Amino acid sequence: MSGKASSSQSTTGFGSGGLSHVYIQHQPLHCSIRGSRGLFYDDGTKLLISTTSNQVISWKTVPFSPFANPTTDSISEGPILAVRFSLDEKLIAVQRSNSEIQFWLRETGEAFNQKCKSESESILGFFWTDCPLCDIVVIKNSGLDLYAFDLVSKTLILVETRKLNVSWYVYTHESRLVLLASGMQCKTFNGFQLSSAGIIRLPKFEMVIAKSEANSKPVLADEDVFIVTIYGRIYCLQIDRISMLLHCYRFYRDAVVQQGSLPIYSSKVAISVVDNVLLVHQVDAKVVILYDIFSDSQTPISAPLPVLLRGLPRSNSLTSQSNGGESESSETSNTNDHETIIYGDDWKFLVPDLICDVANKLLWKIHIDLEAIAASSSEVPSVLEFLQRRKLEANKAKQLCLAITRTVILECRPVPMVAKAMDAIVSSYSLSIKTGSFFKGIKVERSLTGVPNVNSTGSGTDVPTSRTDGLGKSIKYESNSRYNSGLVNRSSSYSASDSEDNGSSEPLKTISDNTPEAQPSSLQSQPPGPINNLVNPNVSEQQETQLATPAISPDEMYKFVFAAVEEEMVEEPSYLVAILLEFLRSANVEKVKVHPNIYVLTIQLLACSDRYAELGLFIINKILEPSKEVAFQLLELGRENLQTRKLGLDMLRQLSLHHDYVLLLVQDGYYLEALRYVRKHKVTGVRPLLFLEAAFASNDSQHLAAVLRFFSDFIPGFQSTTDFCAYHRVLGEMNGTITV
Amino acid sequence: MGLASVNPSSEGLQLCIFDLRRGQHEGQELDKILFFYPADLPFSTQLSVTGLSEGLITFTRIFSPEAACEVIEAERHSHVFYEPEPDIWMVMVVEKSKEAEAIWRTDALREVLKEVHSLFMMFHGSIRALLDKEPGGGLTRSHLYPFVMDYLRDIFSGKKLQLPSFHDCLNERRTVQMLTVGREAAIEVQTLVRTLESSAGNTHCFSLILFQDLLVSSTLPPEDTINLFTYAVLRLTPRALSSGVSSWSYLRKGYSSSQVAGGSTFAHSGSVAEQFSGSVAEQFSGSCDTSSGDDRYRVVRPLQNDRWSKGKDGFLITDIWGTEVGDLDLATPTVWLKHTEARMYLCAYQYKSLTVIFLIPVNSILNGEQGVSMEKQKFLENASLKILKVEEKLSKGWGGENAYHVSGYRYLLVDSNRAISRASPAGKVTTLTKESLLALHMLRDEVDLEKGKNKWDHKAHDKDLEMCIRAKNNAWVIARITGGKELYMVLEKANEKLLYASDAVEKFSDRYCNGAFSLD
Repeated sequence: MSGKASSSQSTTGFGSGGLSHVYIQHQPLHCSIRGSRGLFYDDGTKLLISTTSNQVISWKTVPFSPFANPTTDSISEGPILAVRFSLDEKLIAVQRSNSEIQFWLRETGEAFNQKCKSESESILGFFWTDCPLCDIVVIKNSGLDLYAFDLVSKTLILVETRKLNVSWYVYTHESRLVLLASGMQCKTFNGFQLSSAGIIRLPKFEMVIAKSEANSKPVLADEDVFIVTIYGRIYCLQIDRISMLLHCYRFYRDAVVQQGSLPIYSSKVAISVVDNVLLVHQVDAKVVILYDIFSDSQTPISAPLPVLLRGLPRSNSLTSQSNGGESESSETSNTNDHETIIYGDDWKFLVPDLICDVANKLLWKIHIDLEAIAASSSEVPSVLEFLQRRKLEANKAKQLCLAITRTVILECRPVPMVAKAMDAIVSSYSLSIKTGSFFKGIKVERSLTGVPNVNSTGSGTDVPTSRTDGLGKSIKYESNSRYNSGLVNRSSSYSASDSEDNGSSEPLKTISDNTPEAQPSSLQSQPPGPINNLVNPNVSEQQETQLATPAISPDEMYKFVFAAVEEEMVEEPSYLVAILLEFLRSANVEKVKVHPNIYVLTIQLLACSDRYAELGLFIINKILEPSKEVAFQLLELGRENLQTRKLGLDMLRQLSLHHDYVLLLVQDGYYLEALRYVRKHKVTGVRPLLFLEAAFASNDSQHLAAVLRFFSDFIPGFQSTTDFCAYHRVLGEMNGTITV
Repeated sequence: MGLASVNPSSEGLQLCIFDLRRGQHEGQELDKILFFYPADLPFSTQLSVTGLSEGLITFTRIFSPEAACEVIEAERHSHVFYEPEPDIWMVMVVEKSKEAEAIWRTDALREVLKEVHSLFMMFHGSIRALLDKEPGGGLTRSHLYPFVMDYLRDIFSGKKLQLPSFHDCLNERRTVQMLTVGREAAIEVQTLVRTLESSAGNTHCFSLILFQDLLVSSTLPPEDTINLFTYAVLRLTPRALSSGVSSWSYLRKGYSSSQVAGGSTFAHSGSVAEQFSGSVAEQFSGSCDTSSGDDRYRVVRPLQNDRWSKGKDGFLITDIWGTEVGDLDLATPTVWLKHTEARMYLCAYQYKSLTVIFLIPVNSILNGEQGVSMEKQKFLENASLKILKVEEKLSKGWGGENAYHVSGYRYLLVDSNRAISRASPAGKVTTLTKESLLALHMLRDEVDLEKGKNKWDHKAHDKDLEMCIRAKNNAWVIARITGGKELYMVLEKANEKLLYASDAVEKFSDRYCNGAFSLD
């Protein structure tokens, strides 16, 4: 198909101003294979897998690229209910029937089988795990079997069995969490988290289903339950069609807590998570609602709007526009090579942020449009907070934050509001410093595994037809098998898998939100790239992926905000001072170090409105912390205002910048004081000539003699220098004979 | 006790203000005199004081046109001169009593004159301007008289006139005492200041924030800060409001406790004050004929005692400035700023120990009192939360009365660059023996002299100075001046070695003055 469409966003038809906060970018990953019988998504390895009768073709979806090359593995012919690659991708596991799983060693092509022992058991599905106890977990209607794989003997060794009745299950690799449904209504759940830290069993819990009538007993289906991972926390979302609510449960290590419900406006709902933003697709209504489940707030970020298809070649743009609304027909008619029907029946939503168009064998990745979201809200502080939490497009979020901050300052918005904005920025920076993410300039290519940020591109999973409803939810094998295509949707692992792993390693417990970034991996001490760019936020798009976090350092605040607005704020120096103070206040609260630049700027602003008295207060109270830069700025202003000069001198002395201090004393004519200071602090390397000249200029022979004498004592060998001789002679001329 | 006493009705103190440009002709000499205390002194006596002063001024001007006579030391009196405005002179004559208490330091007395004049300027503008407004002088006299008398009343305690004597040599008038705050609190305070500023919109407002009797922040230039600070401490701070009997802040700090303890002294002084004010009114109406009944001049008396109180909304109110016609609202006080030469409305808001004064240019408010109350409303909306926070922060960090006591030291630290001083708490200073104080007094006199010389010698060049005296009671009395900063201290019960004394200074300097005095 249109292979040439550039993957860059620049082709976007409508620009960010379009009526949409969520878009999919043309062009998608094409995964049609001749003879394909099934389409699966393996979220453990993030591979999109298409199978033919004897081949397994897989595409990497992380990082997401429409041009990913498929890898082909041959296997023996037979039915395929599910396919999963081992986490190291050395093995392929294929579920052949409800009682048999076959394994291939990819290097050698060796195969072996694993069957259920008892006839009555049937395999519902399986997944690979990085749990230290075992390598693969098989879910059967009678419980879980945990196997370790023995490479030498090429056999599976049963490590542990957990007996449970299981009707169906949900698993996502990102959460490492498997939820097992049981009971008549399938609303009783057992949960296990199998992470690299071991196995954690969750307390049994029940989900809530409203009853339409007294006797009705609605049964919960696997497509009604989604596991989502947001900010490293694991939630479960459950659709309640009767009350039209999406119940939200949060998992802790020892508890499952219901955390309120979100309204739904469609009987079919799908969930995606993009960059920790929860997207609730109201499929029937063809709109998506965004939530940022960070605090307890359950207010949507934005109004419901359709998903937009971006970047279609021009002719099609109309179509895509119309998609939002209804359009299946119109679209189909327009799009030539692939019919993109927004919220079409063939859309399957994969965990966490991919959409698979099963009919056309296309895989789309979902993006959120930060600019549009930012533009749709006037609550600057909360917009900044939202943007600061974005990791995928960290650079864009950062540039947006900078631009927004500049704008509010230039518009002289009320100080308390700007103060909150400063708080948002500074606390985010402080957090990123603590977690170390600020210093990670990660290159995308480098780490598929896992730096969440990087994954921005990579979250996609292609799932063939399996029906993943929402994000994050994977469909079980069972369900897959039910669907015609028999694809397996596994929950897709998604971006940030690593981070999540970390998260999951401390399982359900309240995982701190930042865990993802906690990876100590590459701490580079150099600041992120964009620093060098201009103030223009748009310039640096290309560097986008290198940033791990949109956090803005004080230095960047200076360069891109304060210094940038300063010239335009000439009329309002006191307003800018107020803003700077708010910034310092935030920084102080968060214990963030502020670059002297900002202090220097504050001093200049105060001085230019002639507020030297206040400047003195600022210095004395150390609101502007002492530094060499500050001291020199004070000294420079000292030409206008003597007191300020003294403040600068005092600061030099307090900072023990002996040489500068001594030099300035001499310049001001206090050469004797300077000498005393030199003696007391043993300042070496002073140039006697300066002192001698100063003493000579004062025309006081006693002073000159004192200086000569001082250096004769202080500097060994001084008496044999030319300086000494010259001034000794001068002294002699001044008053006859004096012996030094 | 600690204060020199002068019988107010006797010739212990004379204070006069006169204008050399007036009364140039024989027989009109009385016209020169704008103010004289005591007013009931015969004109001939008054004239002899001014005549002598004028003669000396004229004579000394021949040699030193820029700075004429500063002081005359006669056998029984000291005459202290001060020329606050060109050709307007203030002269204070104090008796040199045989009692040892009456030992004055000229510079300290001159500071009193400066203070009277500066405060007067702040409320009424310059004397010259008043004279120009009404060349007859009646307007000026009717303003000066009640003002200076109100001021002097503060100095009277009991029957005695408390002038700064050697007991007060660990104090510096015309300086501001600052609260030392941590960085966090300082930032909080400054954000409050900015909030005030921004709530005023485009008009150029000023603010002054005090905690207890200490300055926390000021956006005014130093001179105006000193004046407003002085007034605030005299009349506006919580202590001034509650004490009823006002006296100088540092005096109060030293003596209020003891006075309160002895309630009788208190009551007594109150009655004296009443008497006194009665006589003021009498003298006043006699000489100037304006105070009551006659509306020739409407004179505002900002230093009147007990006229400020805290209103329900937290703003301080007073009827000193009268009431608006046909309105129950009290008129808002106004002050005149030296720096901007503009008249400003003075609004003072108090929350617990925090007093926030903000000044709004009169000409920026078109509809008078109504406009002011709107501004106050805005102030409350924008700042009251911040004020709560700041007060809390400052209270938390407040070390109490003796916060700035350094054990073993009795000190006075003056930063003349910024007109700031800090001293040992007065209660601690009283523990010093008279010998120590007298020695320090002498030392300060000496230093004043040096400073005076230096001032005329090298204008821009600060001279370092160090003096160390071993007093009769074996106390060390030390003065050190460097870079415009002055440190005076008394070390009693000290080791006899000079090295010990200099070490003590060094230690003090390093710990409390950022090493400013540790140059060698």
